[in-house]
Amino acid sequence: MKESPETQKLEKILRSTKISAFGFMGTDPRSLSEIISSDLTDIRELGITIAKIVSRMKEITAKAEPALGSSIKIDNKLDVRIDEAKGRIICPWPHPASFPIRITYVENPQTGEKIQWTDLNIHLIEEHNFFEGKGSPYRIEPKELAKIIF
Amino acid sequence: MIITLIISVLIVSAIGAALAFVLVLSEKKFNDYGQCKININEEKELIVTGGKNLLSALGEEKIFIPSACGGRGTCGLCKLKVLEGGGSVLPTEEPFLDKAEIASNMRLSCQVKVRNDLKIFIPPELFAIREYNCKCVEITDLTYDIKQFRFELVDPSNINFIPGQFMQFLTPVYDTNTEETYRAYSISSDPADKNHIELIIRLVPNGICTTYCFKYLKIGDPVRLNGPYGLFRLTDTDAPIVFIAGGSGMAPIKCMLHHMKNTNNKRKATYYFGANKLKDLCCVDLMHQFEKELANFRFVPSVAATEPGETWAGVKGLVTNAINDDLQDASNSEAYLCGSPGMIDAVIKLLRQKGIDEKNIFYDKFE
Amino acid sequence: MNPEQSFNVQIWQAFIVFFSAIFTQNILLIYFLGLCSFVGVSKQLKTAVGLGMAVIFVMTSTCAINWFVYHYVLVPLHLEFYRFIIFIIIIAAFVQFIEMVIDRYSPVLYHNLGIFLPLITVNCAILGAVLFMVIREYTFIVSVGFGLGSGIGWFLAIMAMAGIRERLANDRIPRGLQGPGITLVIAGLMALAFIGFTGVLQQ
Repeated sequence: MKESPETQKLEKILRSTKISAFGFMGTDPRSLSEIISSDLTDIRELGITIAKIVSRMKEITAKAEPALGSSIKIDNKLDVRIDEAKGRIICPWPHPASFPIRITYVENPQTGEKIQWTDLNIHLIEEHNFFEGKGSPYRIEPKELAKIIF
Repeated sequence: MIITLIISVLIVSAIGAALAFVLVLSEKKFNDYGQCKININEEKELIVTGGKNLLSALGEEKIFIPSACGGRGTCGLCKLKVLEGGGSVLPTEEPFLDKAEIASNMRLSCQVKVRNDLKIFIPPELFAIREYNCKCVEITDLTYDIKQFRFELVDPSNINFIPGQFMQFLTPVYDTNTEETYRAYSISSDPADKNHIELIIRLVPNGICTTYCFKYLKIGDPVRLNGPYGLFRLTDTDAPIVFIAGGSGMAPIKCMLHHMKNTNNKRKATYYFGANKLKDLCCVDLMHQFEKELANFRFVPSVAATEPGETWAGVKGLVTNAINDDLQDASNSEAYLCGSPGMIDAVIKLLRQKGIDEKNIFYDKFE
Repeated sequence: MNPEQSFNVQIWQAFIVFFSAIFTQNILLIYFLGLCSFVGVSKQLKTAVGLGMAVIFVMTSTCAINWFVYHYVLVPLHLEFYRFIIFIIIIAAFVQFIEMVIDRYSPVLYHNLGIFLPLITVNCAILGAVLFMVIREYTFIVSVGFGLGSGIGWFLAIMAMAGIRERLANDRIPRGLQGPGITLVIAGLMALAFIGFTGVLQQ
């Protein structure tokens, strides 16, 4: 099916390195809609919803906020640390949304599993169901994410 | 039969050619906007070739308007007033402008096409912005992930800036990065040294610009900076000062301290520096030097957590704890904050409890 | 029949053709023309309206232009059999021309409409409407009425579809039917509904 000019423009921005180093698509050859629908299928198979994932991610980040960048243990099982850098990053979709460059690092010390997300990741998942393309440094695998945070 | 065929082919070709001709002619006519005059603040007049967007037309004339998305209409930073000749607001701009801005002729300069003479208004501080061709002359490790970069200004060779302002650093094309990008960093150097600029930069994992600065930038390399930007600055009052900044947030504070030393400023000042680990502390010797040279300056570093085997004799805990224990009678003080939004929000809350009026809290949120 | 009377008759006929093109002879739901962009661009009401407006405009104007080209160029030269090629290049050239004019004189309209114009150059509904106009031997006034009516009919159909799809976005749809699948099912149901108009108007 033909993509509309707007979608084409969006994909071009997502693949460029203008907003984020390496771009949002990484080395993923699939189209944006393919990436989104394959991740949504994964999530459906896990029996959870985008809303649940997003609210849990927000909850974890909020619980780590008072530590001001130090590591903190939450829910007696996860080590969480927030790192903030100078600047803001904008959402590549054509609407006004920008986020602090803030990375939440989550580790489960018992299993050694680690995952990280940025505030922009949360927005991309919540609003656009976009977990980024494979090969992007900020790609989140829905299955790995669900395993660690739930 | 053959004649009919030839004639019909000729006629169809003729119709096609005629249409193509009309299109080429009309493209020439409709896309030629001629030379357009841009009047800026009634002070300066530029003559540019019409047809491109206002942001790039101004950029070619070395007038820099902040923009983070490179003219794609997604960041909403390149706002300026188009007083005459801008036409009506486009649907692509609407999400970024509120009613008051639309009423005052505010536009996104990357979406306004120069099609006729324009009259625009650019705030004077933006108008003073220049591009500086520099040379990297010194790179100092401040901590394991923070470096200080010193640049010598080549063209123009002098800069005037207000302590607290920041510069934009042009990251060139390198390795996987295929496009030039600007990133903002606060100036940390002594404002009296007009031939040099120092920036304190912390490595952001996978950051476009910081990766370049840490891995690719070498002494002697040419660098392009533009600026200065920003409204974060010291007031002219005599109120006691509370500085709060950690990590690379130290840059504008260091710059202000240099300036206070140069002007022999006797204001009472206390600088709370919050580090998460001992290895995050930086510039401690320089700060102790300032304590000796400035009449009323005190440096209070705090460390949140020590690794096994490390000893720390200073204040332990988060920077908020340090302020809470150390800061007495702050009601007539002014506070200057630089750092992450999380830290700033937490500190503002605390400072208000301590009785500082919110209008006396100034901050440079990492934005 | 004096010319004035024939003019009135033509207006009346154009009026009937206009309404029948919207309802009983809807180019999209009865003839299933222009289905590609109908399925592709009906996810959001806003974009659907933009495309629909562009179709109305282009369909009306190309019907008018091609009527003249057909009757004053192709018929006298006995080149009626070339009408497919000629109509297509005229539609393409016209759309390009209009795009340039809009870009120059109305930036707002260009941003609303402009991006859809190139998309519908190759829309078969446009060519279909022009060919119907020739086959049915409409006069000029009736042709314009037909073009306008067909455009509005297409616009109505895609708008209705976009509205339905926006409502469906939050519903659970069997996996195999998601996207174009369910859209075609809906289009079929809408077509059945439009067939209900048959007989309301006599052509």
